[in-house]
Amino acid sequence: MDSEGKITRRRALLAGGGTLAFGGGVAYVASRSGSSEQRYVPATSHTSDETSGFGVELAGRPIAGERDAPVDIYYWTDYLCPFCKKFEAETFPELGQNYIDTGDVRLVALYMPNIGRYSMPAAIWGRCVWSQVADTEPSAFWNWHSAAFDEQPNSGKDWADDETFAGVTERTDGVDRSAVERCRQERGESIRESMDPNLAVAYEARIQGTPGFVIYNRESGAVVKAVGAQPYENFADAIDRVLQS
Amino acid sequence: MSETRSVAGRGWSRDLRDALVYPLTSNLRLLSAAVATVVTYAVLVLSSFPQFSIQVLTNDPADVVYAVTALTREVYLSTGWFGIGLVAAYAVLTGVATINALALVRRARRRGASTFVGVLPGVLAAGCASCGAGVLGALGFVGAMAALPFDGNLLRVGGIALLLFFLGRAGDPRTCSIAGARDG
Repeated sequence: MDSEGKITRRRALLAGGGTLAFGGGVAYVASRSGSSEQRYVPATSHTSDETSGFGVELAGRPIAGERDAPVDIYYWTDYLCPFCKKFEAETFPELGQNYIDTGDVRLVALYMPNIGRYSMPAAIWGRCVWSQVADTEPSAFWNWHSAAFDEQPNSGKDWADDETFAGVTERTDGVDRSAVERCRQERGESIRESMDPNLAVAYEARIQGTPGFVIYNRESGAVVKAVGAQPYENFADAIDRVLQS
Repeated sequence: MSETRSVAGRGWSRDLRDALVYPLTSNLRLLSAAVATVVTYAVLVLSSFPQFSIQVLTNDPADVVYAVTALTREVYLSTGWFGIGLVAAYAVLTGVATINALALVRRARRRGASTFVGVLPGVLAAGCASCGAGVLGALGFVGAMAALPFDGNLLRVGGIALLLFFLGRAGDPRTCSIAGARDG
């Protein structure tokens, strides 16, 4: 071919167009929200002062589902984590309706502050909100939890501050902001310290990022670990395997 | 002195231009550069959260598109347009550098092992793609990129600068250059 070894106009146009298409494709995928903006509020929630068979301390942690559910899901999250928001919007509602509300699974919300400077204060907000509503109106926590994730903007992590979380708390029905603020001031440090044992459990399970999950059969001790906002089908397969083992 | 430097600079930019357009010299090279770009992009993005990528891909390799799109969004949300733009630029440059490095290695093999030193910059240009955006994640340091200045964008900029430097050093892989001749 005579064009071999030469830069032809056709190839130059092809390369330019291809580069533009590649850049445009990346931009399209990056900016596509994809989340269905669903919110999930578990039919039942409960508290526990026990340590689970897997070694997770349950005291003061939000637990969705029935107390005697055969499978536990330990869910390490961070309100600043975009991948956690994806899980919350796209997978959690289906997971909740098909496994938590049916009594097969209980999900324990745990914090792994790892994204930004406000990750830890955000986690303390979460724990304080739960402690305020756990016995009276636990659904208020899950509404607050979803609303906190909804605050994530399209980019950056400077959005997270006292003002944003105070606003979410103020707007969530059933949550008393002054009680939550008092908890943050009086118990903030002890809550921070109390996260260490469960973080150690996560690291021991080689959970290296958020969202991180351990799916645990409370009777047989079977365990499956999952990391990231995986498709719903992957979670369903993992839960089914753990349920049957 | 400054004149020498500006001559060297002009020589480098001419060589960089020659290196960047080399894949346009044949259909096969252009196609190979495109494939290398897409593969590099996928590897860079997947290595931003290796544990997730491995789990999704071992569960069902067909989910590679899901993993790449989910992590593209994640990288954008974590580092903004600048960060995702750098990753895309990194992939394009690596696509070019890979094709150029392959041409250099093929030429070196024809001429004997001693020529390998001469092609080293070009090979480094391709190999260096892993030293920026990907390697920290791939080594399992999750959060390492986020902890770095500008969420790791500084490292990505450094990697791109290195790629451009080596591409400019190597020039068109079909031509020979005598080290030092251009540097005065």
